[in-house]
Amino acid sequence: MTTRRSFLAGAGLLAAAGTVNRTALAALPEPVIQTSAATAAPLTPPNGRPYDPVVTLNGWTAPWRMRNGVKEFHLVAEPVEREIAPGMVARLWGYNGQSPGPTIEVVEGDRVRIFVTNHLPEHTTIHWHGQRLPNGMDGVGGLNQPQIPPGKTFVYEFIARRPGTFMYHPHADEMVQMAMGMMGFWVTHPREAHPHIARVDRDFCFLLNAYDIEPGSYVPKINTMLDFNLWTWNSRAFPGIDTLNVRKGDRVRVRIGNLTMTNHPIHIHGHEFEVTGTDGGPTRPESRWPEVTTDVAVGQMRQIEFIADEEGDWAMHCHKSHHTMNAMGHDVPTMIGVDHRGLVEDIQKLVPDYMLMGERGMADMGEMEMPLPDNTLPMMTGQGPFGAVEMGGMFTVLKVRRDQKPGDYRDPGWFKHPKGTVAYEWAGAGLPEPARSDAAGSSSMPRTGGRQSVEMTVRKPTGHQGH
Amino acid sequence: MRASLPISLLAATVLTGCASVAIDENFAEVERFARDEAGSEVRWLRSDAEREAMRAEVDRLLAQPLAIDDAVRIALGYSPAFQSLLAEAAVVSADATGSARIGNPVFTFERLFRSGAEGRELDIGRSLGISLFDLLFLPARLEQAEFRQQQTRLQSSIALLSTVTEVRQAWVDAVAARQVARYREEVATAAGTAAELARRMQATGNFSRLQRAREQALAAEETANLIRARQNATAAREALIQRLGLTPSQAQALRLPDQLPALPEAPMDEATTGAALLENRLDVRIARTDLDRTAKSLGLTRVTSVVNGLHVAGVRNSETGESTQRGFEIELPLPLFDFGDAVRAGSEARYLSAFNRTLELANNASSQVRVAYEGYRSAYDLARHYRNEVVPLRQNITEESVLQYNGMLIGVFELLAAARSQSASVVQAIEAERDFWRAEAALKASLLGQPIVPLTLQSGASPAEAGGGH
Repeated sequence: MTTRRSFLAGAGLLAAAGTVNRTALAALPEPVIQTSAATAAPLTPPNGRPYDPVVTLNGWTAPWRMRNGVKEFHLVAEPVEREIAPGMVARLWGYNGQSPGPTIEVVEGDRVRIFVTNHLPEHTTIHWHGQRLPNGMDGVGGLNQPQIPPGKTFVYEFIARRPGTFMYHPHADEMVQMAMGMMGFWVTHPREAHPHIARVDRDFCFLLNAYDIEPGSYVPKINTMLDFNLWTWNSRAFPGIDTLNVRKGDRVRVRIGNLTMTNHPIHIHGHEFEVTGTDGGPTRPESRWPEVTTDVAVGQMRQIEFIADEEGDWAMHCHKSHHTMNAMGHDVPTMIGVDHRGLVEDIQKLVPDYMLMGERGMADMGEMEMPLPDNTLPMMTGQGPFGAVEMGGMFTVLKVRRDQKPGDYRDPGWFKHPKGTVAYEWAGAGLPEPARSDAAGSSSMPRTGGRQSVEMTVRKPTGHQGH
Repeated sequence: MRASLPISLLAATVLTGCASVAIDENFAEVERFARDEAGSEVRWLRSDAEREAMRAEVDRLLAQPLAIDDAVRIALGYSPAFQSLLAEAAVVSADATGSARIGNPVFTFERLFRSGAEGRELDIGRSLGISLFDLLFLPARLEQAEFRQQQTRLQSSIALLSTVTEVRQAWVDAVAARQVARYREEVATAAGTAAELARRMQATGNFSRLQRAREQALAAEETANLIRARQNATAAREALIQRLGLTPSQAQALRLPDQLPALPEAPMDEATTGAALLENRLDVRIARTDLDRTAKSLGLTRVTSVVNGLHVAGVRNSETGESTQRGFEIELPLPLFDFGDAVRAGSEARYLSAFNRTLELANNASSQVRVAYEGYRSAYDLARHYRNEVVPLRQNITEESVLQYNGMLIGVFELLAAARSQSASVVQAIEAERDFWRAEAALKASLLGQPIVPLTLQSGASPAEAGGGH
């Protein structure tokens, strides 16, 4: 839901944003505030040069106003509450009511004027990551400009010179401000047909970001370096990330920017794609090769494209398996195969609500619904048509349907598999025992002792105990 | 003179009273003190029948968990130690009665024999004499004796108070030690479960020897704590049994309540305890009595220092051939060498000393009550703090840890550590409550006049912190 903080009073005059300097206000476009974390419909440009709009996953595109041929946006840096997924809200810093801020969409050659009002408790700036622009507009506080003090509005103005995928984020106290969620997406559409930029039917974009929020608390720990516990796309974690709903045969583009502190191998099932653009612009067709996973390094952007020609519900996720988990203990001991007989009752005497978990692995976690600390998400969760999906973090689904209408981004529901196309349980005769290798260590350093029977000491998993 | 002597003797006998009357009076006074001030009754078992009846009553009391008031009742009505104290008081009382009696009359018989030229002469002299001094000062001596009886009564009350306080504290210790041992068992179980789990985890290769050893070391320490706690519980129980004077079979029958009484809603306030102070303190009363007595005896000394003996006797002398001589004799020491000044100076010094001791005692008594109240009040605050803050917080931590465990944010070892800390905090809470009830008994004793070593609060060892993290 997009709301307007206030209405225009007179010609271009508005009474927005409490502490904004009055003289600056006279010329300011009204900031538009987003209160919902749902994926907004693409914003068809009402004026200016036409383009095919993108869809920001669980996000939206900032409206603008044209003023003497200049596209004017107004970003308000402010504390926000962002729903990370149903059941968990984070107190972040963001822009115009959300984190990340609205996607800014312009067309190559547009003159862009961006008003940035600082409603944070400390100064800030915005760096326009990847843009060609005058040095004084690059937004590095202290180097290119004075920081924007709290309560002040600064203006950035430049021409969007090259088409491509960009990001914006603070370059003032950025360790804190990015850990708090200050970031946004920027797409510059080509002005006219470009040999290396295809027209696509669906164009999705999202930012990779990560938070460290103690389960039961609300504000990210800003001093965390690498040990984050919430891996998010546009500040959303599975099962809070919307699905990518496309029509069979669509040419689909996904733009991904990485503002976390580690790389993310983004993997799509069922299709091969090509990387058609990087931070530096569109890749030349002859440099492209097919992939199913592309690594998006820290501070990088990747633009991938594919033809969605296989119907179904296809997983799409970061391939670091801990990044498809929500908050979890990193020091939890592995309990696999540990016999708990006789101990469960003892523990329950001391802690009546204790339940045995982990004896057979961690899938219990995705199956059991147990009370958790306030304001946190299960480590693994989500129910699919066949049961627990056992995922969290950077995971969603690419839904390809033949009957999805062009321009319709609504969720079509679960895929209905044609008969005989789902894996099934073998019901035939018993299978022979496979032959086992006895040759371990035979190459460079052959084993000298007898064969060690490792299996003999391992207790085979048994049925439920104490569940 | 002759006629008045027997009357005086009779009067003296009546006034000094018979010893058993004084003993009974003193016991009645102790009984009254026990009832009004210590809230219990005293029995003085003077026959086998009484002993048997009381023994049966004690057996009845021991049929259920022994309440603190019943423990006091047994101590005051049954324990040989206190019975012995009562008997000793009776001895002192009898001595005091004896001290007030005037010296027995002295009968002298003289038979003198002379053989001379005039033949044999028999000279028989008889006199019946009494110390006139004793008679003259009989009222003063009776007063002195009454002071001594009063002292005895007060001393008996102090002994009673001391017994009551000790029994109350011993009961509190025994109940608390038992309760602590039970929670130590919980702590040890939590640590033991973790150690067993660690052992199994090492067996399946999930834990290293180091990880297992850490859990086992914790469990071993908790086992040591449990052994200590159990020993304390046994020792505290036996200390109570000794104060109650139970026979071996009664000792075996003794059961204790599972927990200490609940803390009172509000503590006694300092104004009440302060106001009640000097009137009630037995030791102050003893000092005052002593001072009065010293003052009286000072007056007495002024008179008797110069002339310290006056003896009068009726004399009857018979001599052969002579008519009988009748008369009296007075014996009076002459103050030629001893003018009594040393005695007077000594007596005055004793009075001064007693006077200042009384002052000191009064000041100290006031200070002791303040200390006792402070100890009582701190113990109350601490016990309430443990009950209302520490234990609920630890419980809350355990509950939150369960949620964290559910989310696989922490492992079972941290959960067990939280449970261990929770039980350990309960142990601390019990110890704080025990300190409170001890301090309460000490304060009550202090208000009535028995200096008790003031309470010092033990520093609570903080239970092992359950680590968080994920």
